[in-house]
Amino acid sequence: MSSALRKEQNRTTGALLIPALLVIVLFTTIPALTTLSYSLFNWEGFQRTSFIGFENFRKLFAYPYSDQLLAALRHNTLAFIVIMTLQTSLGLLFAYAMFRVKRGLRFYRVVVFLPVIFSLVVVGYLWQSLLDPYYGPVNQIISGIGFPDLAKPWLGDTSTALPTLMFINLWRWVGFPAIVFLAGLNAINSEYIEAARIDGASEGQVFRKIIFPLLAPSLTIITVLTFIGAYEWFDLPFVIGGSNGSPAGTTDTLALMFYRLSFGSVDSGANNVGVGSALGVLIFTLVGLGAAFGSAILRRREVEQ
Amino acid sequence: MKISKIRGLVAALFAAVTVVAPGASIASANTEITFWSWRTEDKAFYESQMRLFEAKNPGITVKFTPYLNTEYNAIVATALTAGKGPDVLQMRPYGGMANLSDAGNFMPLTTAEVPALKKLSAGILAGAQGYKDKKQYGLPYAVSALGVMYNPDILEKSGIRALPQTWEQMLSAFDKVKKAGFLPIGNAGGNGPALEQLHATVGPTFYGGTAFFNDVVAGKKTFTDKGYVASLKAVADLAKWMPANYQGIDYNTARGLFANEKAAFYIGGNYEIGYFRSLNPSITIGWFPAPKANAGAKRYVGTWADGAYAINSKTTQKAAALKLINFLGTKEFGQALVDEIAFIPTAPYVKINDPAVKEINRWRTTLGTPFLNVVGFRYATPTSSSILQPGFQKLIVGGTTPEQLAKDVQTAVASWYEPQKGKS
Repeated sequence: MSSALRKEQNRTTGALLIPALLVIVLFTTIPALTTLSYSLFNWEGFQRTSFIGFENFRKLFAYPYSDQLLAALRHNTLAFIVIMTLQTSLGLLFAYAMFRVKRGLRFYRVVVFLPVIFSLVVVGYLWQSLLDPYYGPVNQIISGIGFPDLAKPWLGDTSTALPTLMFINLWRWVGFPAIVFLAGLNAINSEYIEAARIDGASEGQVFRKIIFPLLAPSLTIITVLTFIGAYEWFDLPFVIGGSNGSPAGTTDTLALMFYRLSFGSVDSGANNVGVGSALGVLIFTLVGLGAAFGSAILRRREVEQ
Repeated sequence: MKISKIRGLVAALFAAVTVVAPGASIASANTEITFWSWRTEDKAFYESQMRLFEAKNPGITVKFTPYLNTEYNAIVATALTAGKGPDVLQMRPYGGMANLSDAGNFMPLTTAEVPALKKLSAGILAGAQGYKDKKQYGLPYAVSALGVMYNPDILEKSGIRALPQTWEQMLSAFDKVKKAGFLPIGNAGGNGPALEQLHATVGPTFYGGTAFFNDVVAGKKTFTDKGYVASLKAVADLAKWMPANYQGIDYNTARGLFANEKAAFYIGGNYEIGYFRSLNPSITIGWFPAPKANAGAKRYVGTWADGAYAINSKTTQKAAALKLINFLGTKEFGQALVDEIAFIPTAPYVKINDPAVKEINRWRTTLGTPFLNVVGFRYATPTSSSILQPGFQKLIVGGTTPEQLAKDVQTAVASWYEPQKGKS
């Protein structure tokens, strides 16, 4: 390639990058920097008053926010671990089953993926009514088959609310990793699998030694997306537990806390944009660094086909 | 479409905008003022009232726009901070919008300009004053009152002849109702704010009502006061009488249990009555003030001004906006507000015809005490409400103690409220 042509190509590539870069700067970089600047000021309602350095961060790490922050962080981390282990492995299982199924692939694909396309608000209300302790069918069935002691107020009990929320999340989202893994499985060159079979490898060996390593790119994507999703978990907890993480803050997450602090809630009064922004900066840093490190480490163990 | 065509279209649009915009203010024959509200459910009512206003004030038209209540504060704050916003608006009470009035976003109202203010009591006026300068920024239009609502039919079937006067009598009434096969109270634990209102209803008799309110506002007493701890314990004690699995029963289901005549009592605000009637139009609802803690205690009715009308300080239509505010302060408008929306009016010159509202208001005027959290401690974060709402949910399942919850509230309030700083 001549150098003139290469220069021309570079220029074209550069020009093509501009729109995307503009969008990122406009909608990610500038808001992130604005949030950072907000977090260094004192706020009275929505009025920015004086520069106070890191005072908002100090407040965030003092009572009562410190308690809420720790609890929320614990819930986010728990959500990440549970979603990563249960939802992802179940997704992989579904994907593998669909990969091996001889007939009806299209049907299973739709069934597994259907909850993903439901509106989240609908999913929230659906499960709320299913689990309603007074009228809900779930508890009626549990009592009906002879276990009335197990008929709990699932979403209202401080010990079961978060696990229930994770279960609903799994129900709704499991189709996503399943479809990603299915695409990954279909991308694997079938010659590797056939060759292994001819060499006498068992089904388990084929999966462990051939399929799973070659699925690494899909796993990287799912892990990083799950990480980001778990630490920015907002929609489902908000629809079901409201901005206070009802009951008693047991379904609180970092994003809910951010929303509550920044915009206030009608029910409990004033907001605090400064402390809210400090939390925003914290979440942004945590998710950004985590996702960057995570994908760097995971990329390293991916193998070329 | 060709480029030139698009260009032409843009130019035409631009011209239209620049011509129309100043045109509106030049045409002095007609002044349009905008009026914002969070009461989407009252849109039809306000629009019909605005037509009456326009008929009486030729040359002024009013554009009424309601926004979703949960988003209203953010919308108003953003608009006003950007120097925009409506000419006239509904203002949240007390701390709800005090940060906006303190920042100079509302026009101070004088009794000379708005004579209706003279007729309102000091406690009600306080709901629409600045936190710092104590100037009057709004004309309060509604009051809320807390008490115990009951179903007379269930009480009769349970053999309850007289309404409970003391806490003990109330608990024994709950017991009778339960033995008769009904739910004692519809209240449940799924919703933090509803528990806070429950506490604001039954609590004041335990902590000593208005006297304690004044002391805690002045910094003479703290939330760890014995009486206040006892008021928190009262809420914990009520858990026993709530429906099974009460922790998970949400606000609507809880209210539905009373509205559908499964529960004998519901403890809360007068604003629930409209909802109860919408679910079950044939229900009969009785009302009595929360019982006294013991024979020697006093009874109280928790109350607060629940909204006001204010003028944007940056309005260019001050005269028209004042005319509208004065219209909203008339007897006719106040009467319509009560008759059609069943609010308790702020103005003494408005007549209440609804028997239930009438009864509530009678008790409110004799036993009224300010809603401690709403009136006193919503001006900065962390508000007492933001600690109590999840705190009550923990308390009713034994996840915390009244003493600990009281301590938590004190620590939170002492972190920003000057008179309480350094106190525990």
